[in-house]
Amino acid sequence: MGSDRMEVIRRDITANKMIKMNRLFTKLMSRNFWLKSIYRLFTYVLLMDLAFIFLFPFIHMLVTSLKTPLDVLDITVKWVPRSLYWQNYTRALKALDYGTTFINSVIITTLGTIGHVISCSFAAYGFARYRFPLRNFLFTIVLITIIIPVQVVIFPLVIQYSNMGWLNTHLPLIVPTFFGFGLRGSLFVFIFHQFFLGLPYELEEAARIDGCGAIRTYWKIVLPVAKTSVLVCTVLSMVWHWNDYFEPSIYLMKPQKLMLPAKLPTLYQNLEALSKQAASPEMEIIYNEAIVMAATFLVILPVLIVYLILQRKFMEGIERSGLVG
Amino acid sequence: MKGKLRLTMNQKTKLEGYFFILPWLIGFIAFFAMPFFKSIQLSFSKITKIAGFEMEWIGWQHYAKAFTWDVYFVPMFINTMRNTLITIPLTVVFSLFIAILINRNIKFKGFFRGAFFIPVLLGTGFVMKQLLGMNVQNQAIEVAMGIVMPDEILNYLGPDIAAYVTEFMYRITLIFWRSGVQVVLFLAGLQSIPNSMYEAARCDAATEWEMLWKITLPMITPVISLNCIYTLIDSFTDVNNPIVDYILDMGFKSVQYEYAAAMSWIYLLFVFIVVILIFVIFRRFSYDSKEG
Repeated sequence: MGSDRMEVIRRDITANKMIKMNRLFTKLMSRNFWLKSIYRLFTYVLLMDLAFIFLFPFIHMLVTSLKTPLDVLDITVKWVPRSLYWQNYTRALKALDYGTTFINSVIITTLGTIGHVISCSFAAYGFARYRFPLRNFLFTIVLITIIIPVQVVIFPLVIQYSNMGWLNTHLPLIVPTFFGFGLRGSLFVFIFHQFFLGLPYELEEAARIDGCGAIRTYWKIVLPVAKTSVLVCTVLSMVWHWNDYFEPSIYLMKPQKLMLPAKLPTLYQNLEALSKQAASPEMEIIYNEAIVMAATFLVILPVLIVYLILQRKFMEGIERSGLVG
Repeated sequence: MKGKLRLTMNQKTKLEGYFFILPWLIGFIAFFAMPFFKSIQLSFSKITKIAGFEMEWIGWQHYAKAFTWDVYFVPMFINTMRNTLITIPLTVVFSLFIAILINRNIKFKGFFRGAFFIPVLLGTGFVMKQLLGMNVQNQAIEVAMGIVMPDEILNYLGPDIAAYVTEFMYRITLIFWRSGVQVVLFLAGLQSIPNSMYEAARCDAATEWEMLWKITLPMITPVISLNCIYTLIDSFTDVNNPIVDYILDMGFKSVQYEYAAAMSWIYLLFVFIVVILIFVIFRRFSYDSKEG
């Protein structure tokens, strides 16, 4: 009896195998399958290739910044440096005056981003939820200010700031953000506006019926719900503020007020000055690709770290923020 | 409520609305409207006293100067116009292509989404300048192109075509690096298309290609126009935008604020024309919801 059963089971297994093999065979024979897998393979190769182009600046920076002066000249050293040469970074840190400029950048970026998120969402809430005379006209102005380049208003603006004594301070970069302007402020008003339009009224109505005032409704109900948009605006505002060169290069002249990227064009002069100061063979100027890349990498490193932390939520945020719905 | 101003509900909401946009309105007047109108005035006049910002009206002189006297302005302006008009469609097409690729059912989706946004972190300013100074964009495309299109094929096509292709590719790399935000916006747009549409089309035996043209593109037109506008405003801060640097140099190095203001107004006029063009084109092609 036992062996009979085994026989049945064995037959079953073989039959099963046969069916599976058969399916695989038909799959392999069908033209569709091959086309599909070739297509898939091609998609992945293409995607990897494109991703490489996008990641290359960072790979290049990292690799080059660790090369010794000899490696830089050697064409055979392309992807892997012979040894890791950290002196590039110590020199670049000094040449960038990292302590001061880093703190300046952090102050401007943080305050500017906070200003944008608060003021832009505030104004956008007014535009999205209230009907009042001139509303459409004023919102059209918001849209128009998005497309007007800063260059058009920059000259009177500089004269205005210099009369106010704001030049060479961080104020011209920070104060406008608290009024919904500054670096692409109108764009953030637009992003928040689109999000608030898609938000159901019920939450706010419930809050109002329970006796919640307008500001409190905005602060306690609407803003927490708009978390995704806040995140999107935070990341964009942060990245743009950190990398902005146009306005800072006009408003800030004094070395102790400069932002981090502004030190890059004068890297060579800074290194020269440093070597004269130190007058030791250790600090002799070696200005090459490696040190430039080390400095560049140091400039974007903080923003890169913050982005990598927020990246996942940021991507989800953009998809859900109703930005383009 | 005694002693207080009595308002109807309607008036009250209106006031609250104004209250919410009040900070923006102050900002608009202080940081935009005032400089904006000053800038118009400036472009038509001559500064007599810089301290009090006193000006004297001189008419169209600065505008005439830009076109008749300045040898650099017109070629630079034409160059910028050409660059903008080439960059906008290319950026939009490529970012749409990438977004559609990533939006498919693929593995490592998170990695790819993250990778395509990452050049945005490089910004457009000094960091980018350093990288371009080292020809990083050419090195990137050389390696990347070697995978898809071996040198042998290029050589087979002859030196002229090969040179043309490589030239085109160098341009494309920069466009790729600047399309991070656009890709992300397109991804958001693609996500918002309801899946049921594709299912219905599949039931009617539509191919992927047909679905792209008949569903994806019509549904995504608003995002396409949004991206055109975004690409345009992104080009104001581009390192490859010579006119912007020229205007600034004229203003701050040669201290000719009036002339620089006039030039920036000519540039703004061009920007407006492009925006109107984009709207006209997309009004024609946009998906009309009333029909469906």
